[in-house]
Amino acid sequence: MKALTALVLLVCYLPALQGMVQQWQSDEDMSHGFVVPFVILWIVWRERGRWQTLEAQPSAWGFALLAAAAGLQAAAALGVGLFAGSVAFLISIAGAILSVGGFAWLRALAFPLALTIFMLPKLAIVYNQATLPLQLFASRLAAAILTSGGIGVVREGNILDVRGHRVEVAEACSGIRYLMSLGFFAMVFGYFSDSKAWMRLALLAAAVPLAIVANAVRVAAAAWQPSLDSGTPHAISGWFIFVLCLPALLVLRQFFRDVYARYHS
Amino acid sequence: MRSLTKLFLWSALTVSVKAQITLGPTLNTFDILAGSTVTNSGPTVINGNLGVSPGTAITGFSGFAPGGPGIVNGTIHSADGVAGQAQSELTAAYNAAAGAASTGVRAGDIGGTTLTPGVYTIASTLGITGTVTLDAQGNPNAQFIFQIGTALTTATSSIVFLINGAQASNVFWQVGSSATLGTSSAFAGNILAQASVSLGTGALIQGRALARTGAVTLLSNIGTAPGVIGGLPPPPGTPAPSSLILITTALACAGIYQSRERLLKIFRG
Repeated sequence: MKALTALVLLVCYLPALQGMVQQWQSDEDMSHGFVVPFVILWIVWRERGRWQTLEAQPSAWGFALLAAAAGLQAAAALGVGLFAGSVAFLISIAGAILSVGGFAWLRALAFPLALTIFMLPKLAIVYNQATLPLQLFASRLAAAILTSGGIGVVREGNILDVRGHRVEVAEACSGIRYLMSLGFFAMVFGYFSDSKAWMRLALLAAAVPLAIVANAVRVAAAAWQPSLDSGTPHAISGWFIFVLCLPALLVLRQFFRDVYARYHS
Repeated sequence: MRSLTKLFLWSALTVSVKAQITLGPTLNTFDILAGSTVTNSGPTVINGNLGVSPGTAITGFSGFAPGGPGIVNGTIHSADGVAGQAQSELTAAYNAAAGAASTGVRAGDIGGTTLTPGVYTIASTLGITGTVTLDAQGNPNAQFIFQIGTALTTATSSIVFLINGAQASNVFWQVGSSATLGTSSAFAGNILAQASVSLGTGALIQGRALARTGAVTLLSNIGTAPGVIGGLPPPPGTPAPSSLILITTALACAGIYQSRERLLKIFRG
């Protein structure tokens, strides 16, 4: 029954799935989409002992969700767009869980379902609104970092000029990749390291400024050292600075635990 | 009648106080102009025109004998009619800047200060150490004119910082003798020097280096003419690694962290 439901969903939402995979392939901001389903499936498998022991109490609300998702998918097919179709797919998964296992199953699988948000394609209207401010903020922050380090920098909008070496904080440098990647990782890390839901949300919230600052440091490094502005050294420095964020999350988790313990002791 | 007279006097006064310097159309196309020679060492990039007049010598640039590592994206003019016309316009701009009615007096080093639009008179030498901020107060047409009696000298890594709409094309440094920009300094504005202009290694000038009688000396510099910054080749972007690489790395690190004790046991045998 479960397998049949999953198969039907996959067939019905094949165009949306194809569109999502296409964006994961073509857009490096979204390429993490390939990893997300595997992590979700692994968490579902890891939690099998929890949700399989729950008694299935199918809810009619599940069919209502499936119907709503079908309507959204129809609208997407008529031209509303890929984002709507993808959201419809995720709603239909929630609907299927509800109609097969009921609210208890939905609660048990709420966390992996929440992670599916990271599979969604870009919502252009939001992405376009967010990218430029992020670019400019990254430029300002990188210029401030350089200046505070005693390095003279001239900033013209999203272009940094250090002693004649100019770099552009383009769309791909806005920090979206750090934000998406660190945000997703913070959620997963929170799940593995702490059973409390607030810890996952706290880590997700902490990942946002951490990713923004880390991206600005990356841009500042590229502006400061011409050898780091392109090619393999640039990729490695970007990767290395991201890796430094991971122990920072560990420290933040410990900080949150300490604060929690202080107020609950 | 009295009102009209007042209006006339007020208009005249306003015009005289708000001295507006403009560069002639030929001079406007030059990033570098010298009276005697232009000398370059290192990979300097000039995006506008470069010229010399009445002198003829230009060294250190590819495309002009004897050649060199410097690049001129504009045109090189050596003692030709265009360079001569540019020198005439430089003289006019220099005299206009020198004759503008002063609105403030400064002395010594202006590093660490913030200046609003106006005509600043400096009796002898002017230094810039650290950062001097030019605040246009939201008026992109606001001009900053510096009347420097003798020399202009900027320190290593000093910065001329433009804020609130200040434009490099509206900043004029009228220098009575010579201007020397320190190593790695970031300078903004048009230098109108009576004698020579020397740029230290790696100094950036968002503006022009214009010398009436002497030389312009360059050392691995980039000159960006005000208003034609868009003419520069686009600088490289600094994209982050793809989110797939980042997430895979993060998950791998988390996996190693989670299994650290097991891994340590394996390594210890």
